[in-house]
Amino acid sequence: MRTHGNYIFRRTLRALFTALGVSLVAFLILHLAPGDPVKIMLGPYATEENVKALKARYNLDKPLYIQYFTWIKNIFTGEFGTSIRYNRPVSELIKERMGPTLILTGSGLLVAVILGILFGTLAALKKNSILDYITTFQTMFWLSVPSFWLAIVFLYIFGLKLRWIPIAGMTSFSSTILPIMTIGLRQQAWFARPMRAEMLEVLSQNYIKALKAKGLKYEKIIWKHAFKNALIPIITMVALQLPWIIGGAVVIEVVFSWGGMGSLLVGSVLSRDYQVVQTILLFISLAVVAANLLADILYTLIDPRIRIER
Amino acid sequence: MGTLLEIRDLKVSFDTEEGKVEALDGVNLKVKEGEFHALIGETGCGKTVTGLTILGLLDNNAKIENGQVIYKGIDLLKLTEKQLQQQIRGKEITMIFQDPSTSLDPIFTIEEQMLEALENELELTKEEKLKIITEELRKVKLPDVEELLKKYPHQLSGGMKQRVMIAMMLSCRPSLLIADEPTTALDVSTQAQFLKILEDLKRETKITAIYITHNLAVVSEICDTVSVMYAGRIVETASLKEIFLNPQHPYTYKLLHSVLGIETDIEQLQEIPGSVPKLINPPSGCRFHPRCEEAKDICKTKIPKLQEISDGHFVACHKRVMEWTKC
Repeated sequence: MRTHGNYIFRRTLRALFTALGVSLVAFLILHLAPGDPVKIMLGPYATEENVKALKARYNLDKPLYIQYFTWIKNIFTGEFGTSIRYNRPVSELIKERMGPTLILTGSGLLVAVILGILFGTLAALKKNSILDYITTFQTMFWLSVPSFWLAIVFLYIFGLKLRWIPIAGMTSFSSTILPIMTIGLRQQAWFARPMRAEMLEVLSQNYIKALKAKGLKYEKIIWKHAFKNALIPIITMVALQLPWIIGGAVVIEVVFSWGGMGSLLVGSVLSRDYQVVQTILLFISLAVVAANLLADILYTLIDPRIRIER
Repeated sequence: MGTLLEIRDLKVSFDTEEGKVEALDGVNLKVKEGEFHALIGETGCGKTVTGLTILGLLDNNAKIENGQVIYKGIDLLKLTEKQLQQQIRGKEITMIFQDPSTSLDPIFTIEEQMLEALENELELTKEEKLKIITEELRKVKLPDVEELLKKYPHQLSGGMKQRVMIAMMLSCRPSLLIADEPTTALDVSTQAQFLKILEDLKRETKITAIYITHNLAVVSEICDTVSVMYAGRIVETASLKEIFLNPQHPYTYKLLHSVLGIETDIEQLQEIPGSVPKLINPPSGCRFHPRCEEAKDICKTKIPKLQEISDGHFVACHKRVMEWTKC
């Protein structure tokens, strides 16, 4: 029988290979796309020599595979290259922008998970009640509106009309509320619906009847047994939703002028700032791979069937 | 022996998409203290519904239309969900189910789930509780109990799970056990083992049981009294011996003769013509009359009452009761 440690080891190995593949795609996608960063930088009237010199400076004159391996090699030493647009080390730029993005996506995810699980569970426990219908309606609503539209409407209502919250920037605590809620409210809908379905599914299981037959308290049956069982598939849902949350955050950062990695990414793509774009793509992909790995490990902690069998 | 549980004229219906299903239509049942009472009948005749009704475990689409379930002088149908949980389930009456593979919560250890059965015993320490559950698990002949307690349900075989279930339910010391086809999902050799355990328990603990099954062989092994159900009604109740040697209701007779036994000298296996009626639109009068070779006009219109024709032998059949009163 394979042990728990073995399982985690194999999962980690798999995650590493995925990360490597992802780095290759992140690299190629950009280099194969049309557009030349040096020409963008120097403008249409640049001389042939100037273009050449600049290309040599950023290693852009070497074959693709050399560029890729140089990049990978440098990653391990913490060298992410230099931004063409800002003429500063990419690591510095990312260090500045990482914090705001983590605050935005982390808090957004937290809000989404808490609200989603809460609404889903209550809707299942009070099936066919007003609360259940309201949950169905509100989740359908949030799922149907695109996040950029939602962000603009929020800005209009709370920022311009009611003037409760500053409309842009990261100046105060209150300025974080709108972007976080834009992510949180939309994403909770993704968790509330499956949570409701899982909870109902678990409640119809035989062991719930058996727990009742042995005289266990209702609260214990619901919160200890049903809730914990229903939560297992939701862990995967959260991991799978992470790319969408990050993707949504990019748009939201731009709308709210939030100085995070998302707005940096958009600006860098437009100016073909290769080094910055590929580093951010790599970071985002690694975050997603890590989240999936974490979900796999969390699984084993909560579900004994996976811990021992596979 | 006194009566421990009496079901009087119980009617239960279900709201389904196809319409209202009259699952139980006037069930009358008396379970005496200390006996193993078999509830036998074909799939869908209402055996399980009867068991679930006693414990108040019916699904939301079920409706109790009429009747009483008197247990130790209390009508269980009048109790609230909270009262049932605090006073009845586990402590007085408990139930084990057909499929042991789904009867245990997959993500908790056997120990955790066994201890829950003793949760209301506040005066016991954890060590004392552990001692009790270890003893109970030994009683059902489970090997390596200490190791077993640390295991999760999926690491156990079906037979072991069913033994854990019965040990769990018995550790709360109930007076009445409802066993809903506990051996149906087990293979034949495990079945025999499980029945042996039940037999021992019966001898040692003097527990009363309602044993729901469609398996006559199982009934003959451990039951004292047999009630035969057909389409939501009890058609005959008698001692085990009476049922096998002197079956009165035509359905009981057919049921016995549709099974092959080594000892019986039935020459040919007989099937009961027709099939079990749909309870959405059940036959009028005696629900068995469309399949009964002896049916008379009265059987089509009047519902036969369960009547005692000899000591402890009840039958619900117009023809039999008439014959009996004549002589």
